Amino acid sequence: MTALAQYAAAPARRSVLARPHVMPALLLLPCLAWIAFFFLVPLGLMCWRSLAASGFSLQDYAALFSSPLYAKVMLTTLKAASLATALALLLAYPVAYVLTMSSGLRRGLILVFVFIPYWVDIIVRSFSWLIMLGDHGLINKALINLGIVPAPLELLYNTFSVLIAMVQILLPLTIVILFGAMLRIDRTLVAAAKIHGASGWQAFRTVFFPLSLPGVYGAGLLVFVLSLGFYVTPALLGSPRQTMIAQTIMVEASDLLDWGQASAAGFVLLVITTTIAAIYNRYFSLDRLWGGSEP
Amino acid sequence: MDRSAQSAVNSGAQVRLRKLSKAYGGLAAVDGISFDVPAGAFVSLLGPSGSGKTTTLNLIAGFLTPDSGDILIDERSVADVPPHKRNIGMVFQSYSLFPHMTVADNVGFPLRMRSRLSRHAAQKRIAEMLALVQLSHLAARYPRQLSGGQQQRVAMARALVSAPRLLLMDEPLGALDKKLREQMQVEIRRIHRSVGTTVVYVTHDQSEALTMSDLVVVMHRGRIAQIGTPRALYETPADAFVADFIGDSNLLAANIVESRPEGCRVKMRGGAQIGTLPAPFAAAPGAPAFLLLRPEDMSVQLQACARSDDREQLTGVITELSFHGDVFKLAVAVGEDLLKAKVAREQGGSLEVGRQVVLTWRRAAARLLPQASDAASGIEAATP
Repeated sequence: MTALAQYAAAPARRSVLARPHVMPALLLLPCLAWIAFFFLVPLGLMCWRSLAASGFSLQDYAALFSSPLYAKVMLTTLKAASLATALALLLAYPVAYVLTMSSGLRRGLILVFVFIPYWVDIIVRSFSWLIMLGDHGLINKALINLGIVPAPLELLYNTFSVLIAMVQILLPLTIVILFGAMLRIDRTLVAAAKIHGASGWQAFRTVFFPLSLPGVYGAGLLVFVLSLGFYVTPALLGSPRQTMIAQTIMVEASDLLDWGQASAAGFVLLVITTTIAAIYNRYFSLDRLWGGSEP
Repeated sequence: MDRSAQSAVNSGAQVRLRKLSKAYGGLAAVDGISFDVPAGAFVSLLGPSGSGKTTTLNLIAGFLTPDSGDILIDERSVADVPPHKRNIGMVFQSYSLFPHMTVADNVGFPLRMRSRLSRHAAQKRIAEMLALVQLSHLAARYPRQLSGGQQQRVAMARALVSAPRLLLMDEPLGALDKKLREQMQVEIRRIHRSVGTTVVYVTHDQSEALTMSDLVVVMHRGRIAQIGTPRALYETPADAFVADFIGDSNLLAANIVESRPEGCRVKMRGGAQIGTLPAPFAAAPGAPAFLLLRPEDMSVQLQACARSDDREQLTGVITELSFHGDVFKLAVAVGEDLLKAKVAREQGGSLEVGRQVVLTWRRAAARLLPQASDAASGIEAATP
């Protein structure tokens, strides 16, 4: 058989597996099945319950939107999440930058220190802040013993304590996402800036920083969505005034057993999160930032 | 453009490298090299990968700090001068255009960083540079909307916009296809002539180095194998490495049988004796050497011709024959050696594989080269 004939005959002998799209679909199947069963189905059930509990009416939703409590909690949640995200980004950026610029042992050491808190459970970490920030906590004791303040500062059960713990919990993830994004920046671009007259700071400001922004926006979105759902931290370190939406849903579901109301609140949170993500993506899409996608 | 071209003539910097060394983890990438780049010259650093040419360029740029030695730009040491203050333009292998800036902003970058030009003067200068590289119509595009050749031109314009006295180019044409590469070679020469900047050009492509350069520095294992004009390197290579790396060559192992002031006679592996060749090194009888014959210096005949004083001849059998458009290339087995020859198209008609032929060449066209162990082992590394 000539080479040409072999080539021509080859497609006829291909199995079903060799068809395009078949193999990718097979490989995706286990993961898709998992997501469908443990995520999409419960989500559907939740949606169903939010309507069915009140005899298929929008009563639970109406109650939600007419209650000043929910509006206030949602606003507190959005505020806390935005602040925590901004702070996490601000603190993570320099660390990620140093990680990107270093190599070998130094990079390894920094990464270990970034990850050690990540390996500790969220509840344990939140409790440890109680010990740090309490009236008889480490910080207040130190301040009083040093004579800086006469009486303990109110460090606990306020926005400050909730934020500080949230940021600490979010930092490792933020650093890792930013680090990944910064690693993808072509470093010869910085060299090109320098040889063409840019000082270290100018090269950072005009080349590295703008190119790192897609990573900043991406990390911002992920961290924001994550912080919307914080539950343990505000419960332990906040006062009722810092109540976030996840806590309210929990109280509805487990204390008041109003599953219809809890489901409706959960669904609204999901819609709000998705909407914010969609708007965000529209204005900070990667294509725009890299330039040139506009007609 | 004319005005700037006028003012730019003879504005190139003189560069001197003095015993420059740089090692990575105990391995010498650049090993005590010294050479001068005359003001306004186009100098190529040529060598196989790992020969230290890119390290040398990065040392001149200031991206690397030398372990020892010094670099003088216009007789001034730049050891303590950071890259951004060296007033150098550079074209990178991957162009390294800023993806978040338009073509005009890329070209204007050095002006924004370096000069105190007014906005209007800067715009004018950018327009001039874009005209020089014939890209005026693409000023508002982003780099990724351009072809490789266009990106290459933008990189040239950016490197030259602030009229640097020294331009460094790191394999700038490596990513382009052959036709475009040849076109850009001409283009780069034209631009070099019109701006007068000194150019240090790194390449592993010997034909590129030959066609473009005033001077070629052949590098091998962190050292300089030879410095010379393209013709000098081609016609009088210092050793087998340079002879093999530059151009097509037959390097035949031979032994010196007779050494006299006017030249040597050598014996080839097949037993044939050839002479008399000038030896550019101290050649003792019995010493091994390389006989260099360029394929295009060989003439192929079907019958032996009368012996003459200025021509040598060897008889062999054609083992390979290929048509390249303008020439036939053939391999001829002579004893244990295989000789390459090139024959013009109209003279190759009667040639065929298996046919016995006589190879002749002018004695003056052959060269004897030393067979140092170092040079010989370098040949494998250099063969693509």
